[in-house]
Parts: sequence; C-alpha cells; structure tokens
Amino acid sequence: MKNLTTLSLTLLISVLVFAQDKYLTKIGTINLEASVPSFEEVKATNEATTFILNTANGEFAALVFVKAFRFKNALMEEHFNENYAESDTYPKANFKGKLIDFDLNKLSDNQETLNYTGTLEFHGKIKTLEKLPITISKNDTDQIILTGTFEVSVDDFDIDIPKVVSNKLSKTVVVTFNFNLSKKQ
Amino acid sequence: MKNKIYLILSLLIIGGVLLYNYIYQDHRDISQETATYEITATNLVKDFVKDISYTQNKYLNKTIEVTGTITANGNNSITLNNAVYCTFSNSTKATLNTTITIKGRFIGYDDLLEEVKLDQCTIKN
Repeated sequence: MKNLTTLSLTLLISVLVFAQDKYLTKIGTINLEASVPSFEEVKATNEATTFILNTANGEFAALVFVKAFRFKNALMEEHFNENYAESDTYPKANFKGKLIDFDLNKLSDNQETLNYTGTLEFHGKIKTLEKLPITISKNDTDQIILTGTFEVSVDDFDIDIPKVVSNKLSKTVVVTFNFNLSKKQ
Repeated sequence: MKNKIYLILSLLIIGGVLLYNYIYQDHRDISQETATYEITATNLVKDFVKDISYTQNKYLNKTIEVTGTITANGNNSITLNNAVYCTFSNSTKATLNTTITIKGRFIGYDDLLEEVKLDQCTIKN
C-alpha cells in the first residue's frame, strides 16, 4: 500500500514537473502571524517556497521548507522549530489544490479574484481549504502574481501551546502568501 | 546589612543580563560557522538518488559546503549542476559555467523540482 502511494505520488510529481505550461517560483514568500496585541509580535517569513502552477488546468502545488521560516527573535525561531512545528520530524509542508475557473488568456494587469480549493499539510496533519479567495494578475514581463491570505487554527494541526505562553500566542494563525511565477524554461 | 543589599542587587543584575541574553540571543551566522559536511554537488545529488529521507535527515539544518558548476544564476540565487539551488541574503554575481564552492544551510530536498535547497549562502572561494 505504501509502495503504491509512493508510486502514484512519484507519477503525480513527474506529471506535474514534465507537463507543459508551467509557471513557477522557487523563492515564494509565506508569512505566518500569531501575534496577540500588546505582546511581542509572533511573526515569521519564509522566502524559499517552491510554487508551481499548471496553467493548462489551474492546478497548483507548493512546497514549504519549514526550517526556512525566519523570526526576528532567534529564540522564538528555535521554539517554533523544536516545540511547535517540530521541523526535524516534519521538515516540509505541502499546499496543493486548484484555482477554480482559471483561464490563462483572461489574465491581465488588473488584479482579479479567483477561488481555490486545496489541502494544506503541516506537522503531519492535513487540512482542507474550501473556496478561498486568491488575487491573480499577469504583468507585461509574463509573470503571474498570486497573493492571498487565510487563517488556520493550531488545533487543526495538532499543535499544543503550553499554558505559560497561551496568552502571548494566538491560536489563530494568519497565513499570507505572495508568489511571482515565471514561465518554466 | 548593606553588603547583603549589594549582593542581592548584583545577583539580580547578573540574572537580568543572562535572561536578556537568553531571550534576545543572536541568530545563527551561517557564514561564520564551520561546515559540518563538504561535498561536491554531484555526490550530493547521488546521495539523494539513493535515499531521500535518510540523506535529508543527515543534512537538515546543517551548514554544508557544496562545490559544483554554476548552471544558472539570478539576483539572489545560484544553481549548481542544475540540482542545488542556493539563495543568498545579499545580491550576488557569479559567472556561468565556472566552478565554485558555496557554503550555506541545508533546508530540504525539493521533490517537485528534484533540487536540493540551501539558504543564507556565501561564496567560499
């Protein structure tokens, strides 16, 4: 069964990588924020996300390297990695799905809002994201720009927040992303 | 009595400084760290072909030095041997097709693009 999963996953990935009409970035930005007003901000930025969009059907896949989330406070970063995200065990997060009614030819300089449905896998848990808005546009250098934001709860990903810090840390995490995709050469 | 107060006061100050340094400790400085592994890009890729999860755990979050040929470069990035993608904190210039050694932190294997990813890189030679 495991082999079958691996095989189908490999096939899926090969299809994603080798099929035509790919726009991608390797330095996509993802921000996490779980700040509570009047306490030190809990905020991290990741600028090493791989994001691939299949412009033939609107399907996308993103690979987030958890170790690449940078906090202003080094200790906070250490705690994030060791106690919450457990990035030694779960070094990657996956975000994949489909843009609904995506049409490459309709894209323009003007920002347009589409919906997408997808799944987010983080800390070994999978959460479904249904019909969330995403802003999309295409500039004159043939780059597709995708931006969006959504909220997740730490409970969805089985992350415990110790009582000691629970008033300084929001259980709702705001995720913001920004991907500038270029056509795959 | 006075001595006691001074003693307590100095202990408090020392404790405070230690606590402050712990909470506001510095980030790792990858460019100043000694590399745990030195490897060629070709061998690094071979390791991944053999066993992805073992190799990923071996290198994860470690500072490594990779030697290879520059096959692509961007504003803040260099790709070695079409398979090792290195990002730099500052913009960098490098000539295509030259051999180079890059020191950086390994953050993972990108199975979508079949690439190794390093961040906070610096050029060694």
